[in-house]
Amino acid sequence: MNRVKYFAAETWASLRKNIILAVAAIAVVAVSLGILGLVVMGWNMFTNMIKNAERKVGEVDLYLTDLTTTEELKAIEAFLASIPEVDAATIYFKSKDEALQEFKERFKDQPELWEYIDENPLPNSYELMTKDPKDVGVVVNRIKNDAPHPERIEDIKSASSAIEKLENIFDKFRQIGIVAVVALAVIAILLVSVTIQVAIFARRREIGIMKLVGATNWFIRWPFVIEGVFEGTVGSLVAILVVLSVKVWILDRLVESLQFLRLSFSAGLLAVLVPCILLGGVVIGALGSAYALGRFLEV
Amino acid sequence: MIRMRRVTKIYKGNVYALEDVTLDIEKGEFVFLVGPSGSGKTTFIKLLIKEEEPTSGQIYIADTNINQLRKWKVPYLRRKIGCVFQDFKLLPHKTVFQNVAYAMEVTGKSRRLIEQQVPEVLKLVGLGHKLDAFPDELSGGEQQRVAIARAFINRPPILLADEPTGNVDPSLGEGIVRLLEKINSTGTTVIVATHDKNIVDAFRKRVIALENGRIIRDQDRGVYGYE
Ligand SMILES: Nc1ncnc2c1ncn2[C@@H]1O[C@H](COP(=O)(O)OP(=O)(O)OP(=O)(O)O)[C@@H](O)[C@H]1O
Ligand SMILES: [Mg+2]
Repeated sequence: MNRVKYFAAETWASLRKNIILAVAAIAVVAVSLGILGLVVMGWNMFTNMIKNAERKVGEVDLYLTDLTTTEELKAIEAFLASIPEVDAATIYFKSKDEALQEFKERFKDQPELWEYIDENPLPNSYELMTKDPKDVGVVVNRIKNDAPHPERIEDIKSASSAIEKLENIFDKFRQIGIVAVVALAVIAILLVSVTIQVAIFARRREIGIMKLVGATNWFIRWPFVIEGVFEGTVGSLVAILVVLSVKVWILDRLVESLQFLRLSFSAGLLAVLVPCILLGGVVIGALGSAYALGRFLEV
Repeated sequence: MIRMRRVTKIYKGNVYALEDVTLDIEKGEFVFLVGPSGSGKTTFIKLLIKEEEPTSGQIYIADTNINQLRKWKVPYLRRKIGCVFQDFKLLPHKTVFQNVAYAMEVTGKSRRLIEQQVPEVLKLVGLGHKLDAFPDELSGGEQQRVAIARAFINRPPILLADEPTGNVDPSLGEGIVRLLEKINSTGTTVIVATHDKNIVDAFRKRVIALENGRIIRDQDRGVYGYE
């Protein structure tokens, strides 16, 4: 307890002395972690949008007429499984009934769309995924040209190219985001380490005296470690504040007003993201002070 | 308690600060280390607390060869040796109380013990009324006494004092050495580096005289002996 108080007092005195640098370090920590939070939220929102989309990228749906017999179904399924570009494990037979259930579920807010249906107008279908999304066209062509019982195949549909393009764009966005976060995190670590170096330099005489009266290396190091971790933690708290406000004031409203895009956040996203940002701040602070101590405090 | 065997310290620039020093100081002894300015007294003390390393030779403290001491053990060696530095080495941003308390804090003593013992010891050196002053608000002699208080607050088995009377008037200087004598009488080994002739002559202790880094005289109940 005694020690905790001592370290806290030392840290506070040191922080106050180079407040400008400390604020700069905290700001960069906040920016890097804030961007991390925004990228993760955007990423989550977008993957959910793709997941909720009618067809996934790489998905091919095959609609069948109601006249198709069981033998014909078997032949078609065997043919689909034999296409090399198709991931055979994903081939799924969706019956008329299941399709109707899904339809009702999706439009449960607009019962007028299905309330008065007495005969199920939806077809049986096969859904499958290609091993590689770019092979969708190849697979569609093979089915058109070579499938048995072509008269039973009513329609073939694949994911819209718009979604595909969006996914490409978002992939780029994500990559740039990750690079930016990593670069900023490195800068944040260096800046924290600079503030610690300045603190060490300002107290080098004192440190010498402390050693001479029997202070251990760790007794001397702790206040600096705490100072770095404190800066990292405050930075991460600012980042959390920013991320939460952006979510509440902007993203949640976007989700609300652009419902047709089926944007959404995964449940429990914040419960993971917030502690991660906090941990990131602590790690940045600890690495920054460790780097400064390793290089500039020969004990 | 302290053994030196053929200890030589050469600073860069080929300065021989100590040369071929061999001696034994027993537990509980009181020793004056005398010699003119530049004769190697401070170097002698720096070697004992491992602030400097000898160029050659062996130093033993309580049968431990401190040349071979692991780095992480050095703080524990220093806690066994109270040291009054010639330039005091007080922490400028800490009060008198905090400066002395610091030496207890590093060893993990409880707040209660610190609150109790620090004012006691400061009263002993005549600074009971200056607990909250900062070092630059004190006279040289007062700073020196803070340094003395810090050096023996942990009751170390060895006490080194480098010119502890250098900044005080003669009567106070005698008081300080009497205080060191009192500490010595509780079993602490005390080494006082000084070139204060009056003090050395008045106390008649063992005198080790240095000149140009060599021991030129080692005498029980000796006198200062230089002119
Ligand atoms: N860090 C150093 N680098 C180079 N030379 C040094 C260093 N410290 C001391 N010396 C030299 O070593 C010699 C002994 O110095 P030391 O400080 O031990 O003397 P001293 O007996 O304590 O003198 P004083 O009575 O003036 O305090 C001197 O010639 C001094 O100039
Ligand atoms: Mg000296």
